[in-house]
Amino acid sequence: MDADLIQLLLNGLSLGAVYALFALGYTLVFSVLGVINFAHGAVFTLGAYFTYLLIGGQVGANGLLSGLRLPFSLPFVLALPLAGLGSALVALLIERVAFRPLRQRGADSLLALISSLGAGVILVNLIQLLMGAESFAIPTGTLGALPVALSIGGARVRTVQVLLLAIAALLLVLLSVWLEGSRSGKALQAVSEDPVTAQLLGIDSDGMIRLAFGVSGFLAGVSGGLVGLSVSIAGPYFGISYGLKALGVLVLGGLGSVPGAVLGGLIIGLAEAFVPAEWSGWKDAVAYGFLFLILLLRPQGLLGRPLGTKV
Amino acid sequence: MDAGLLVQMLIGALLGLSVYLPLYCGQLSLATPGFFAIGGTVAALLSTRVPAFAGTGATSPLPALLLEMALAGLLAGLLALAIGGTVLRLRGIYLAIATIALVEILRVFNLNLPFTGGALGIFGIPQPFDSTTGYAGFSLALLAVVCWLCARLEQLRLGRAMAAIRDDELAAASVGIDTARVKLTAFVLSALLAGLTGALAAHFLNSWNAKLGSFDASITTLAFVVFGGSRTWLGPVIGGLALTALPELLRPVGDLRLIVFGLVILLGPVLFPQGLITPQLLQRLGHGCSVVGQGFSGAGRRLRGRLSGVRRP
Amino acid sequence: MSAPPLLAVEGLSCRFGGLLALNNVSLAVQEGEIFGLIGPNGAGKTTLFNAISALTTPSSGQVLWRGQPIRHPRPDRLSRLGLARTFQNLRLFDSLSVRDNVLVGLHRFAASPLAAGLLGTAGVRRRQRQLEQRALELLALVGLEDGADLAAASLPYGERRRLELARALATEPRLLLLDEPAAGMNPAEKNDLCELIRAIRDRFDLTVMIIEHHVPLMMRLCDRLAVLNFGERIALGTPEVVRHDPKVIEAYLGSPR
Repeated sequence: MDADLIQLLLNGLSLGAVYALFALGYTLVFSVLGVINFAHGAVFTLGAYFTYLLIGGQVGANGLLSGLRLPFSLPFVLALPLAGLGSALVALLIERVAFRPLRQRGADSLLALISSLGAGVILVNLIQLLMGAESFAIPTGTLGALPVALSIGGARVRTVQVLLLAIAALLLVLLSVWLEGSRSGKALQAVSEDPVTAQLLGIDSDGMIRLAFGVSGFLAGVSGGLVGLSVSIAGPYFGISYGLKALGVLVLGGLGSVPGAVLGGLIIGLAEAFVPAEWSGWKDAVAYGFLFLILLLRPQGLLGRPLGTKV
Repeated sequence: MDAGLLVQMLIGALLGLSVYLPLYCGQLSLATPGFFAIGGTVAALLSTRVPAFAGTGATSPLPALLLEMALAGLLAGLLALAIGGTVLRLRGIYLAIATIALVEILRVFNLNLPFTGGALGIFGIPQPFDSTTGYAGFSLALLAVVCWLCARLEQLRLGRAMAAIRDDELAAASVGIDTARVKLTAFVLSALLAGLTGALAAHFLNSWNAKLGSFDASITTLAFVVFGGSRTWLGPVIGGLALTALPELLRPVGDLRLIVFGLVILLGPVLFPQGLITPQLLQRLGHGCSVVGQGFSGAGRRLRGRLSGVRRP
Repeated sequence: MSAPPLLAVEGLSCRFGGLLALNNVSLAVQEGEIFGLIGPNGAGKTTLFNAISALTTPSSGQVLWRGQPIRHPRPDRLSRLGLARTFQNLRLFDSLSVRDNVLVGLHRFAASPLAAGLLGTAGVRRRQRQLEQRALELLALVGLEDGADLAAASLPYGERRRLELARALATEPRLLLLDEPAAGMNPAEKNDLCELIRAIRDRFDLTVMIIEHHVPLMMRLCDRLAVLNFGERIALGTPEVVRHDPKVIEAYLGSPR
């Protein structure tokens, strides 16, 4: 196979895998609550910053914590899951302040969308306040003894990208095994199918909602860390554009569908990778173009269920 | 008060009304910044590239501004008309996502088209007014007219149909309302208002770039309406004025201001699910008939109706 | 040849996933009738109403209006043809006042150019006063004229039902579909409702289709009845005929065996 093609495919797949992870975070929350958590992009950003700090990165000169550095530095394999856990805690906090009060008073679900936007704005600006607005690169030495680049089929590819794809794929598999095979995963699905019946069957739907937020936050944090490693952290706002594009992924695959989110992520990731360099300015429009097309042709998405109205 | 801040606040109120129009019939459209950007780009291009609009030196004639606003509104309205039929078939969250996508696509266009100046944008947009005070007077007059039209609209068949669709779209269709058409009308009016506001803003800001129509702006303008309330036109106006002023008033707290802003958006829906300004609040304030103009159903009548109870047949 | 029926349903089927909610149902409603639809829970009565009023798209079959098939049926188009309905679980415009709920029903008669409306020309204001007058008349008809300014959401249940009826009448229908209008009413109220439906039919020269569980009431009220069971029409005719139909007895009392 052509070396360029391999490179492009790998770029597309790894990007697509990140989109898929990201979109799955939206999907988990959407399937239990029917709302998009607009703070998800900020949690992703947070995951990247957590990772950066845990591997011993130094805060820039702009923020309140200027020059600070943790007294220890962890290897990447430890830092990443810890960053994911930290992000999960923040996602739980977001559920507590932005979602639960509205749910308890039975408010319109669109209001939760807005309050989650508020939570996102707070997070992003908090990061900016503490860490500064500059971009951070996770040092290449992070991966220890691993070489910087590998040779696959004649193409030289960055190890980081292979690693990113492998971890993302692993997480996707783990997630589907958990959803389909475990008791809590099945309970989560039951709540998303029919919350009332699930409650009658003794499933703690509040607990399941917290679980969905926790797992969703973990996925966001880990994908943030991975992207931070691969392309550097481009300031506190860098999660926003991923967050918006993942909306395209979500709608393309079908809101609420787990395989749909994966399929949508891969399609958009690959499509973006194959945008020729001279058109790179238009790359950002690819996801939204797909989004419009699918809404036009098949509003329920590739793998979603038809949208109906109840009378 | 600083006249420049006043103009920004007035523009905020106009954008709030643009978000409010579709929301009044239950449609959460975040497209306002996209149409705002179209308006600004149209005005920036016309007044810097077309001699007839440019005037002499750094000034441009007022009629040119009015014409630009009309053209900007028209173009935004036409685009809304073209895509509205498709996107308005989507409900709730789908519509919100589709309109976010629209804003982002327009932003990418603005960044990449050969004549919009890329990331830097267009500079040196000529000024129709000698001073910021001129802008303030003009914007105030524009806002007053738009408010009056919105207040009238709420009283009209179209406004009632919009409110009915918001309450129950299916029931509204069942009593003969062409719901698709009413929603499209609201969407087009919203785009038109955002477009002409963009044209005004481009002159006021003196330069125009793609950043002015971004997702951030979608959030901000939505916050105007959520904060102020979407049940009457006064809500988004108050929301737009207050939330535009807020970051400026919070300047003393420095970097915390955007965090406070986020807190307002976070807590607003929790504390005031209907927004600050609701029709009930206005009635309680005793301005029921004059301000909102709820016809001749004054508070006295209301009270009498309540006291006498509802007679059974 | 006599005139075609006001409404005819021909071979209508509705399938939702694996569930066949309506199976090849045909019936015709003549101008001026009160036509009842009865059957056990889940028999497909409301689905039939939804299919007639274009809220549900049938899987097969068609609905004819005065003998003509309805092309591209949509609820608002049907309303303009002269079809109005109420809903089993009440769908009022809760944030609007009682008066405005009826005014929304008068939507079709309130058309004026947008510009004239915004400017509030004399003609527009006169028209508006006429419509408000008309709304009050309709409210008086259902006994709600004193509550015109109240919020629709604040009305007690029975009055909400009557408001929904006034709103439906405001569209000046030829055919009125009533989905369980007597639900939650006591026997006295049910009798009043019967009188009201008859009075409305006579006054507006209406045709009425009605779903109701209370069979004795339906026997008294309706000129003809259709009985649905498991999505199929099992009987059709005058109350006398339906009452003695063995299939109907079986559907309501269970198989004799």
